[in-house]
Amino acid sequence: MADLKPILLVEDSPKDVELTIAALEQCQLANAVVVVRDGAEAIEYLHGRGKFMDRAPGHPAVVLLDLKLPKVDGLEVLEQIKQDSTLRQIPVVMLTSSREERDLVRSYHLGVNAFVVKPVGFQQFFEAIRDLGMFWAVLNEPPPCAPSSEQAA
Amino acid sequence: MTQPALLTEPDKASGSFDLSTCDREPIHIPGSIQPYGALLVLEPGTLRILQAANGTDAILRADAKLIGAALADVLPASVFAAVEQVEAATLAPGVSHLGTVRFAHDGGWRSYHAIAHRSGERIILEFEETVADEPGSFEDLYPHVRDFLDSLQAASSVQALADMAAREVRRITGLDRVLVYRFDENWNGTVVAEDRNDTLPSYLDLRFPASDIPAQARELYRLNRLRLIADSDYSSVPITPTLDPATNAPVDLSLSVLRSVSPVHLEYMRNMGTGASMSISLLREGQLWGLISCHNAAPRRVPYHVRTACDFIGQILSLQLAAKDHAGIAERRHARRTVGARLLGHMAAEDHFLGGLTRHGDDLLALTNAAGAAVVFGGTSALIGETPAQEDIDRIVAWLAAHHRDDDVFATDNLAAAMPDAEQLKDVASGLLAIAISQVHDSYVLWFRPEVIRTVSWGGDPRKRAELEPDGLRLHPRKSFEVWKETVSLRSAPWHETEVEAAGELRTAIVDIVLRRAEEMAAMSEQLVSINKELEAFSYSVSHDLRAPFRHIVGYSQLLKNNEGQVLTERATRYVDTIIESALSAGTLVDNLLSYSQMGRATILPVPLDMNALTAEVIRKLEMEVGSRAIHWRIGELAPARGDLMMIRLVFQNLLSNAIKFTRDREEAVIEVGCHASEAENVYFVRDNGVGFDKAYVAKLFGVFQRLHRVEEFEGTGIGLANVRRIVERHGGRVWAEGQVDAGATISFVLPSGTEF
Repeated sequence: MADLKPILLVEDSPKDVELTIAALEQCQLANAVVVVRDGAEAIEYLHGRGKFMDRAPGHPAVVLLDLKLPKVDGLEVLEQIKQDSTLRQIPVVMLTSSREERDLVRSYHLGVNAFVVKPVGFQQFFEAIRDLGMFWAVLNEPPPCAPSSEQAA
Repeated sequence: MTQPALLTEPDKASGSFDLSTCDREPIHIPGSIQPYGALLVLEPGTLRILQAANGTDAILRADAKLIGAALADVLPASVFAAVEQVEAATLAPGVSHLGTVRFAHDGGWRSYHAIAHRSGERIILEFEETVADEPGSFEDLYPHVRDFLDSLQAASSVQALADMAAREVRRITGLDRVLVYRFDENWNGTVVAEDRNDTLPSYLDLRFPASDIPAQARELYRLNRLRLIADSDYSSVPITPTLDPATNAPVDLSLSVLRSVSPVHLEYMRNMGTGASMSISLLREGQLWGLISCHNAAPRRVPYHVRTACDFIGQILSLQLAAKDHAGIAERRHARRTVGARLLGHMAAEDHFLGGLTRHGDDLLALTNAAGAAVVFGGTSALIGETPAQEDIDRIVAWLAAHHRDDDVFATDNLAAAMPDAEQLKDVASGLLAIAISQVHDSYVLWFRPEVIRTVSWGGDPRKRAELEPDGLRLHPRKSFEVWKETVSLRSAPWHETEVEAAGELRTAIVDIVLRRAEEMAAMSEQLVSINKELEAFSYSVSHDLRAPFRHIVGYSQLLKNNEGQVLTERATRYVDTIIESALSAGTLVDNLLSYSQMGRATILPVPLDMNALTAEVIRKLEMEVGSRAIHWRIGELAPARGDLMMIRLVFQNLLSNAIKFTRDREEAVIEVGCHASEAENVYFVRDNGVGFDKAYVAKLFGVFQRLHRVEEFEGTGIGLANVRRIVERHGGRVWAEGQVDAGATISFVLPSGTEF
C-alpha cells in the first residue's frame, strides 16, 4: 500500500482531525493521512515548500479541506489550487459545518469536486467519509488491489 | 431742456409721443436762475467771481464788471462782512444759511437771504430776496412745528400722518392746495392726502403717470429735498458766462435755491392752472417714497424759513412713515408667522407632511390670504377652496415647470398676462402665488386669488401724456387734468410682500422636512442593512461554531461505544446512548433554527406549481414515517399555484408530517388535503382527525420552538409550523389553524393565485 497516494486533511480542530482519522480508519482506507492545520500549511505542502521541502514528490489522492481555517481559509486554498495549473487536477472535497448556501455556491463556483456538510451524527459522518474516501482515494485511482478485499473484515 | 423739447425723429407713423425725452433733459444744469435774487459762482481761496446771474432787481453791479472781480470789491461792506466766511461755512456738505443781508436799492433797502453751498470745485453764493412780513427765523415757526410733532404721536396710521402733514404744511405756507403724493413701484404717483381751499380742484385719489416726474427729476428730488417755483410765468435770468472759464463746464445747480426749472414743467404747471408750486421730498431709507406737493393758483413766494420748516415737517413725516410702514409690515408678518407655525405643527403631526396642509385648508389659505389653494405632489393634487379645475392646475404646473423652473417662489397678480390661455381662469386665478417644493418632481403649493375689477382715476388721460404742435416739432405736456377713469381687469388683489415671504418660509420648511425625512429613511435603511449583516454573521457563526461541539460529543461518544463497548457496563452504555441522543437533538435544533433563518433570507424563485403532484411526491417521501399504519388519504383537486418549489414543498412536508404524527394513535387516520379556489386567492388546507389542540393556545402554534405536546408524546422541535408561516407570508399569503382537543386540526394557507411575483 506504500505506493498509495496520501490523503491531505486540512483541519484546524484537533477533535475533528481525530474523528476524521477515526472515520477513515473505520473505512479501512490504506492511504496515509497527512494532516496540516491551516490554509498556509496546506499550500506549502502542495507546493513542497517550507517544512515540506523534503516530502516525497507527488500530489495527494484527495484534499479534505475544512472551510474555516486560520490564516488562509478553505475557500482561498481551494481557489489557489484550482487556479494553479499544476494542482488543478487534485480532487478537493470541502468538509464543513456550514449550511450556508453561499459557501456551497462559492465552492462550486471555484471548482470544488465535492462538498460535504459535516453531519452532527457520527454515523452519517462516517458514511460520508467512507463514500468520499472510496471514491477519491481508491476508486478514482487505478486500484492497486481490490478495495472489496480490504473491506472484507 | 432750456429749449422746448425737440423730437428729432417724430414717430408719426404710430402717432405715439410721450415725454420720455424729458428723461434726457439735464435739469441740474439749466444755465439760469429764477429772477428773485442773484447767484455768484466763486473760486475757492481767492473768492473771485467766475460766473454770475444778476436777478431782476440787479442788486449787483453791471455784469461785465462782476466777472473776474473779487467778492469784496463787488459787495457792499456790510454784506461782505456777513458772507466773508463763506468758504469755511461751505466746507460741510449741504446748504448754509449765512444770514440776512441788506442791499441799497432805489433809495431804500432790500433784504436778502445769503445762502451758500459747494458745487464741485466751486462755491455758489446765492442771494434770495425776502418776502414782506416773512418770519425772521426758523425759531419764529418752531411753536407750529412743535405742535405738529406732538399731534404726530397720536396718529395711528400712514393715512392719518399724511393727512396731518398736508394740513400743517398748508397752514404754515398759506398755499391753496397741499397734496401728499405717493409713488408706486412703477413710479406712478397717487395722491393719498390733500388739504386745500376752493381755489384749486381736488386731486385726492388721482393717479399721475411716472412720466410726470421723470427719472432725473426724481434723482434731483432725492438730493435736494425742497424745490420752489414761485411764478410759473417767470423769465429766467441766465448765468454768464455760460460755462466755467476754467473747466469749460456748466455749473451744477442741483442744490441751488434759485435754480431755474424746465420750460416743459412750467407749461405743465400752467396747464394745471397753478401759478406757484413747491415740493418737499419724502424719503424712506434714502429712496424717494413720495412728495408733499404744494400749489397756488397765483404766483407766490414761500419765505426761506417757512420752506425750512416745511422741509423739517417732511423729514419728520418721512421718519414716521418709515416707522409706521415697518410696524405695519411687522404686524402682518407676525400674523403670517403665527399661521405658518400652526401649519408646521399640522405637518409634523401627520404621517405624510402634506396631509397637514390639505387637512387644514383654512390655515393654508390664511397664510397668504388666498381664496383657493392646491397642493401638487408626486402627480396627485389636493384642491382647497376656489381653484381652477384639475386639468387647468396641471396646465399651470406644466407652465411653471417650463418657464419658472429656477424660481423658488413665483407670484403674479395678473396670470393672464404671464401665462398663455389663462384669461379663462380669471374668476379663480387672476392671482397666482406658487412655491416649488421638490427639486425632482414638479411639485408645488399653489395659491389663487380671483380677479378684482378696479377703477383707477388718473389725473388726466395717461395715454395722452404729450401732444405735438402742428409743426410736429414741439412737444407739450397734456392740457387736461380732468379725472380720467381706467378700469383694470384680469388682475387680483396684489400679493403683499409679507404674503410672498410667508409662502417662501413655508417652502423652506417643507423642503427641510422632505430632506430630513429622506435623511432619516437613508439612515434607517443603512441601519437595517447593518443589522441584517450582523444577523447573517451571527447565523453563519452559529452554523459553524455551535454545530461543531455537538458533532464532537456525538463523535467521541460513538467512538467510545464502538471501540470500548466491551468494557462498558450496561448502564454506562445507556448513559452514552443518552449523551448521543441529546447531542443529536441539540444539533437538530441548531439545524432547524438555521433553516428557519435561511427561510427568511433566501430568495424566492417563483415557478408554476402543480400542487397535486407536489402533494403526491411529499406523501411518497413520508411513507417511511407512516410505516405499517393505515392512513386514509383524501386528496382533492388542488388549484395550481405559483411559488418557490423548495419552499412550498417544505410547507407540505411540514403539514403532512405533522398530520401523520398527530394521528398516530387513531385506529383509522384520515388526512385530507383540499383547496378552495377563487379568482383572488386559493385556500389550501390539510385536515386530520388526530389529537388536535386546545384553541386557547392557537396563537402559539406558529411560534418558533413552540410545542403544544410533551416531547415523550410527540417528537419534534417546534420549528415546522413557524417555517410554514414564514414561507407562506413571504409568498404574500397567510396561514391559520382550526381545531380542538381530540377532534383533529385543520391548517389552512392562502397563496395568491395567478401569476404574481
